[in-house]
This record gives sequence, C-alpha cells and structure tokens, in this order.
Amino acid sequence: MKLAHHHQLDALIGEYMLGTLRGGARRRLQRALREEPEVALRLRTLQREFTPNYREGIAETPPAGGWQRLARELNLSQYRAPWYSRVSFLRGWALGVTAAFVFGVTLLALRTMIEPTLTPIAQLAMKGAPPSVTAALSADRRTLELRAARPIVASRLQSYELWVIPEGGAPLSLAVLGQLDGTLQVPEGHRDQLRKGAVLAITVEPAGGSPTGEPTGPVILSGSIS
Amino acid sequence: MLLATAARDVDAFARLYRRCAPLLLGVAQRITRRRELAEEVLHDSFTRIWRAADSFDPFGAPVGWMTAIVRNRAIDVMETHDVARVDSYHAALDDKPEASLDQMFDWSSADTAEDALDTSRLRTFLRQCLGELAAVERQALVLAYEHGLSHGDLAAHLGKPLGTVKTWIRRGMLNLRTCIDHCTGNIGARQ
Repeated sequence: MKLAHHHQLDALIGEYMLGTLRGGARRRLQRALREEPEVALRLRTLQREFTPNYREGIAETPPAGGWQRLARELNLSQYRAPWYSRVSFLRGWALGVTAAFVFGVTLLALRTMIEPTLTPIAQLAMKGAPPSVTAALSADRRTLELRAARPIVASRLQSYELWVIPEGGAPLSLAVLGQLDGTLQVPEGHRDQLRKGAVLAITVEPAGGSPTGEPTGPVILSGSIS
Repeated sequence: MLLATAARDVDAFARLYRRCAPLLLGVAQRITRRRELAEEVLHDSFTRIWRAADSFDPFGAPVGWMTAIVRNRAIDVMETHDVARVDSYHAALDDKPEASLDQMFDWSSADTAEDALDTSRLRTFLRQCLGELAAVERQALVLAYEHGLSHGDLAAHLGKPLGTVKTWIRRGMLNLRTCIDHCTGNIGARQ
C-alpha cells in the first residue's frame, strides 16, 4: 500500500521528524520519501512548520582534519576550476596591474639597495687638461665609482693603479685596474682616508700593479677630494 | 551557499562547512552523546549535503534542511549501533526539558537574512503552541527531539510504561498540530 494514502501519514511523518519512528516503520517511510513524491512534499511542508532553529550556543568545534577528509573522499579537487578561469576579466586586470606595480616597486627598491647612491668627490685630470674621469663615493665609503668621459683602457703589459694620498702622508693603493671605468670596493683600512683634502691619483704600473707597493710609474691623472 | 554548492562550487561548499559544521556537530552530539559518533554523523551528513544539494528547495530554510539531514543520519547511526544510551547516560540527560527548550532553540522572530517573514512567524507559533501543551507531553516531545530518544528510551528514562509514553507523544503532536493550524488559520487541513 502506498504511504501517500495512509490515513495517519501526518502522524508518521511527525514521529519521523521527532525521531521516534524507528525500525521497520522508519525504513518504510524513508523508502516512501524516495519513491512517492506526495510523501516527500508532505514532509517538506510539515518540516517548514515544525522545525525549530537550534541556538548557536550548542555548537561544537569540528575535528581538525574534518574538511580535508571530506574533500578527499568526495574528490572535490576535480570540481575546482583552474585559478585563472575563476578570476573575472576586471579582477584579473586589477590583479595584473597590482602585480606589475609591486614588481616595479620591488625592482626599484632592490636597485637602490644594490646600487647605493654615489656622490661625486673628485674630478681627475691630466695636468692642465679638462677632467676626464669622475670619482664618486657611496655614503658608507665602501663603494667607489670611476666614470670616464671616454674609455681609457690599459695595454696588455700595463695596469692602472689608483692611489689615495692623504694630506701629508704616503700614497695608499686602492685598486689595480685594467680600465678607468667601473665600480670598486674600497679596502677596509683605507676608507677613512677618502676625505676632503686627500688626493686621488692614477699611475701607470706594470701589469698586475706596482711591484713595490708604492707608485713606480708616471701619474696620468689626479684630482683632490672636495 | 547551498545553491552554489548544488552548482558544484567547491569554495561555497567549503564556506558552508566552516559556517555550519559547528552547529550541526552540536546537533549530532546531542543525539549520539558520543563525540566520535557525532563526528562520523557530521562527515556522512556533509557527504549527503554535497550529493543532494540540488534537491534543496530554494524557498526553504537551508539550516533546517541540513539539520534534518544530520538528525536523520544521527538516528540511523544510533539504531545500527544499538547503543544502550539511557542506561549509560541516564545521569547526563537533561532533566529540565522546559529550560532546555529555550536554551537549545532560537525562537526569536527577528527576521534573519535567510528567513522569510512567515518562517519566523511560524517559529513564534511553534513556541507558543509548545507552551500550551500539557507538561508531560511537552517533556516527551522535547526529550525525543533533543536527544533522539526512541519510545523505549523515553519510557525507561521517564519511568513510565511504553504505552503511556507513546500516547503522550501521539497526543502531544496532535495538539501541536491543531494549535499550529489554528494559528495559521489552516483549520480545514487534513487530519
């Protein structure tokens, strides 16, 4: 017999909603809910009238791995669209612009970090000629840059050597160079000598630099630190 | 979120889980009274919610729909586990169903986002009508609903013959029904 026509259908559904319908009677109603649309509809109507709302106060914290287990067993990852199809055009555009902006700012910051700000400290020149090399120093005195107006490259058998001559002192070697263009690290002990009044000079030395530790060749360029 | 879940939107389903799992676990816990069983019930229920989300009635109450799934699953689990609850949990059972009626359930008629106006009105009627029942009937109904007790459990817990308890339940529901129908002006309804 179809349950839809049962004279106590509402009472059965009521006990089912209450939870007191058990065993065979419960299974029979559950089958009817699947097979008889009228019964399912009746349950829906009664549920609407007789279901109270639980208070949030009875909530319990779900187990930690609960969602992961659910996602794994239902294989939810297959329903997840690739991320690029989930962003709409405008969102994607905004995302792209933001990313480009962040990239640009980062690049700028990195460049500032890698290339410290350099202040020109001396113009090196041949005697009586206009300056041909500019020396610039970083604020922490670690980095010295030589910038030549035109390339000045040493021959294969020679090197250029850069010296700092403190006021009233002997020349100290800063670097041995193949060409007068580029950045160099100032040796730690000599940083304090790069002060106003000291002189920067470049001599021509045998390949590999002065054999004695003091200038041996002619001075080609010089200029005092200002 | 349920509608998006029906459209196989995994993100919406995840939000639904985050938002509703705690409350639904609480419901399951009330009935199973055992944490590990409650967790199983929660898991099975969400599996069912995912699979059956497309049969959810868009005009119905989503939390009520999910609660019914959890309750049914919990009662099924209790039946198969055949747990002799009343004996072992007799002391733990709430003996003041009058109070728990208001502690457990939210009767406020405030119109929440997911509620149609008449849903909250119906809830007010339900609370009123429960109040008008005879105390024993109300107690039997609330205990059965809150803890998923069967007739036998109830009879043991209340120390009354099975037939008496069945009558209370049957009469309680009938009176509740009549009262609700009266409130909604639906007096000519069946039964």
